[in-house]
Amino acid sequence: MLDVQGLHKVYEGSGRRTEAVRDLTFSVAAGELVCLVGPSGCGKTTLLKCVGGLLAPTAGEVRLAGRPVDGPPPGMAFVFQEYGRSLFPWMRVGQNVELPLKQKRLSRQRRRALVADALESVGLADAAGAYPWQLSGGMQQRVAIARALAYEPEVLLMDEPFAAVDAQTRAELEDLVRRLWRERGITILFVTHDIDEAVYLGERVLVLSASPTVVREQLKVDLPDQRDQLHTRVNPRFAELRTRVYEQVQAAKRGR
Amino acid sequence: MRGSDAALGAAGCAVFVLLGEAVPRLGLVDEDHFPPACRIAGALGRELSDTAFWSALGDTLTGWALGLAIAVSAGVVAGVVISVVPYLREVTASTIEFLRPIPSVALIPLAVLLYGTELRSVLLLVGYAAFWQVLIQVLYGVRDVDPVAEETARSYGLGGWARVRHVLWPTALPYVMTGVRLAAAVALILAVTAELVIGAPGLGARIAVAQTSQAVPEMYALIVVTGVLGLLINVGTRAVERRALAWHQSVRGEVAV
Ligand SMILES: Nc1ncnc2c1ncn2[C@@H]1O[C@H](COP(=O)(O)OP(=O)(O)OP(=O)(O)O)[C@@H](O)[C@H]1O
Ligand SMILES: [Mg+2]
Repeated sequence: MLDVQGLHKVYEGSGRRTEAVRDLTFSVAAGELVCLVGPSGCGKTTLLKCVGGLLAPTAGEVRLAGRPVDGPPPGMAFVFQEYGRSLFPWMRVGQNVELPLKQKRLSRQRRRALVADALESVGLADAAGAYPWQLSGGMQQRVAIARALAYEPEVLLMDEPFAAVDAQTRAELEDLVRRLWRERGITILFVTHDIDEAVYLGERVLVLSASPTVVREQLKVDLPDQRDQLHTRVNPRFAELRTRVYEQVQAAKRGR
Repeated sequence: MRGSDAALGAAGCAVFVLLGEAVPRLGLVDEDHFPPACRIAGALGRELSDTAFWSALGDTLTGWALGLAIAVSAGVVAGVVISVVPYLREVTASTIEFLRPIPSVALIPLAVLLYGTELRSVLLLVGYAAFWQVLIQVLYGVRDVDPVAEETARSYGLGGWARVRHVLWPTALPYVMTGVRLAAAVALILAVTAELVIGAPGLGARIAVAQTSQAVPEMYALIVVTGVLGLLINVGTRAVERRALAWHQSVRGEVAV
């Protein structure tokens, strides 16, 4: 579904040259949920923006369903790390969710149905008339997720979407992503710096090295498909996996 | 709080009017040059019942509104184009910095040369002065676009025009509104100035006539009218601003949730 081949990205400008990503190669199968972990500043956001067609790679290639990505592809939705700034404060929640659908030229009726359905599935059915800034941080993040869902993407890119919400909300949102993924069969690439979250959510975890970034390790998460916060997290296999990822991330930070 | 503020304001006004009455009466200033408030009020009453006054008021408002409308449309279009087209901002920056500080009144000879005492003279001066107020605000406003909002729009496939309409314009709107408010005030000043100096028909020309014919109370009455006009314009633009920006931080507190 999604193929990243030899991705290399160098930021140049104002006299500074930063090699954010050295050489990344991996692929994500259709309907798979893959988590990316790596130390802060290792180029996770850069990678995701290249995959989403928002940044042009310096070298290498991203292919979506066989076609090279050279701009934001129609079947892809992005949930940004800075969700507060990603919602438009001049539009109500419903309008925020609806705007991308207008671009898709869907009928009014269809748009209404999609917006209502998406808000319903994130538990915000009655917030459609509010402005984003009238909602709490966790609710805003759910609006951003609803907007991505309503877009009916084949591929969903999520950049540390839960970094700024409290632990309780975070657990709820994690379960929400798992549920939506299972119900809708979307392909999800999920970036996080939280090791527990990566293991709990993913079918597979990719550990990135520190900058200059390469894929350090790929780990299959062989936990049962039905996961829940209480039982999965005390599963001995969960503990083994998280220890393994933890060691890799620590080693990556030390740069070995 | 609000009520007591209004009461204090009214009391201040009343004291000011009383002073305006008492000071000339006590002979502290020359009554021929500073007539007492009640004579100004009388002159104002006579003006209000004179059709010539109303047509002068109409002329001034026409010059103001047309000039402002031209300046706002031109300022918004120019501002957006300069910001959106690559390199255009850099190319135009020094020209703008040179043209902007030229006081509009310095263009009076040019206006007279081109259009004499026609309405177009007033429009030229009003338009020139108001244009920069709007343009500068639009340029600042567009610079305020959040890169995350812009990337969000791009990632959902919004094209260039859709991004101008849904991201750039709403971001710049608070600045545009400030620009329009400033431009509206400047436009009134320039409209009256043009009429006063060039003699284009309007309140300014009427003030000049009152002055040359020694009708001092009438002159003051007309000045009071221009002051009230400025006040109404300010109140009006603020109300429009509040309506248009109900979502924005600077007025958010007043939105019913
Ligand atoms: N627009 C930019 N211009 C120049 N350098 C940049 C830019 N964006 C990111 N970088 C650099 O690229 C590197 C990777 O940044 P990136 O934002 O991709 O990291 P990240 O893994 O997402 O970090 P975090 O976990 O803190 O979000 C950093 O060294 C950063 O300084
Ligand atoms: Mg990041």
